[in-house]
Amino acid sequence: MILIDKLCYQSKLRYVNATEKFVYAVLSLVFCIVSRSAAAAVLVFLANGILTVGKGKIPLSHYIKLLLVPAAFLLLGTAAMLIDLSRAPMDAFAFRIGEWYLTGSTASLTRVCRLWITALSAVTCLYFLSLNTTMTDILEVLRKMRLPTLLIELMMLIYRFIFLLLETASAIMTAQESRLGNRDYRTKVRSFGAMASALFVQSMRRSDALYDALESRCYDGTIRVLSQERPAKKKEIVGIALFESLLLLITIWSIIE
Amino acid sequence: MKQEKEWVIEAEHLSYTYDGNEKPALDDLDLKIRRGHKVAFMGGNGSGKSTFFLCLNGIRRPDKGRVLIDGTPIAYTRKGLLDVRRRVGIVFQEPDDQLFSASVYQEISFGILNLGADEETARKKVEQVIRELGICPFQDRPAHGLSGGQKKLVAIADILVMEPEVMILDEPAASLDPKHTKIVREIVEKLTMKGITVLMATHDMDYAFGWADEIVLMYEGRVLKKGTPLEVCADREALEQTNLEVPAVLRLYEKMRQKGMASQKGDPPRTMEELERRFL
Repeated sequence: MILIDKLCYQSKLRYVNATEKFVYAVLSLVFCIVSRSAAAAVLVFLANGILTVGKGKIPLSHYIKLLLVPAAFLLLGTAAMLIDLSRAPMDAFAFRIGEWYLTGSTASLTRVCRLWITALSAVTCLYFLSLNTTMTDILEVLRKMRLPTLLIELMMLIYRFIFLLLETASAIMTAQESRLGNRDYRTKVRSFGAMASALFVQSMRRSDALYDALESRCYDGTIRVLSQERPAKKKEIVGIALFESLLLLITIWSIIE
Repeated sequence: MKQEKEWVIEAEHLSYTYDGNEKPALDDLDLKIRRGHKVAFMGGNGSGKSTFFLCLNGIRRPDKGRVLIDGTPIAYTRKGLLDVRRRVGIVFQEPDDQLFSASVYQEISFGILNLGADEETARKKVEQVIRELGICPFQDRPAHGLSGGQKKLVAIADILVMEPEVMILDEPAASLDPKHTKIVREIVEKLTMKGITVLMATHDMDYAFGWADEIVLMYEGRVLKKGTPLEVCADREALEQTNLEVPAVLRLYEKMRQKGMASQKGDPPRTMEELERRFL
């Protein structure tokens, strides 16, 4: 998560209008899942790869590493759908174990493959959004979509303070380590508990201090802030519209079929 | 048109005790601050500096006594507090306690929008402050990617954008590197030139001696000594009680006078540069 956060601030697509990116990612995701078509999935997968790595200049190694996480998960999840245990062998493959066969059919194999590419493409949509858009920009889009202010304020504060919390936690852990706090399992468990309680106390203090600071800037219960709008470019909008229309056609076509 | 009062802040018999504490944080504190002055607050941790500051813009309400801003007592109503906080801004010691948004731009716009500015004015002011304080190079970085010094600049911009009459800086140089300490001090200099009254808590006697119009020594929730830097530094007993040292330049000057290396006439120099210029 921290890696994604770091990368998105370096992305060359960071300053592209956030609403554009949001609409593109969400629509592509929806079409990908609704159509269940391998063609749409491959198209989206490629487009996201080109945009994120090619245009956004996110290092390919990081992108692949990030994709491997859901890929491994998918592999394990779909294995159960693919492999059957039966007395009769099926057409795709079969391994004999005594009287039984570890086997799978071609139909289930294609189904699994399609599921695989669809799921992976869906994930790339989210990666595209989070690798090229900063959290504050995403929150701005959500604000425009009239998400309840309370939720947005909460997300904004959580996003700010999650890093402080992690920083404090790692400082405490370093201090513990330097005093042999991780010598064996027992001390490790005890150190972790001590750190958690110290963090809690710190958080309480922080929230008090933050409230004072907000109040002294005339806080009245709602956090009003200005956002920096990046203008949407015509060329980009047309591009997105064309791409999504293509996906829409594929979706309609695959539903009719 | 309201006539400008000479005293921008008057504190009368302030007492404040935190819940659950026996010892008061402020103990019958009396203090007046002249408009446009640079005032250094000195004293150990727990001497009541921060609590006093929080009383000045109505975050803490004193148990006894009252605070007058521009001659009017603080009204602890929604409107009254809004007015006081517009006039008196506090830059907190720990920027991480003050910055609530990951975006620098959003962060700075918060205060000015709370004052009811429309979007266009707010945008103009935010951008002006960003330019003024040299925040441009890192304004697109997230708050958690800023250095301590950069965060401090943003924290100052937070308040500056609200254009307060009084600006309170609680140990602005705490844990800053020399470069940012210098930048912050230059900003403070500019504030005074704009006519803003600056109250600053600091432990750096050498700096306070050169910078301040007035030094306030705080001790156990009271004002132990208040006066010009020279007056305060003449009271060695008070300095000792608050564990403060005589400023280096004053010590050196006194030694030089004893040895006949400096003339007996004129005020002692306030900074090392002045001492060099006059005597070396």
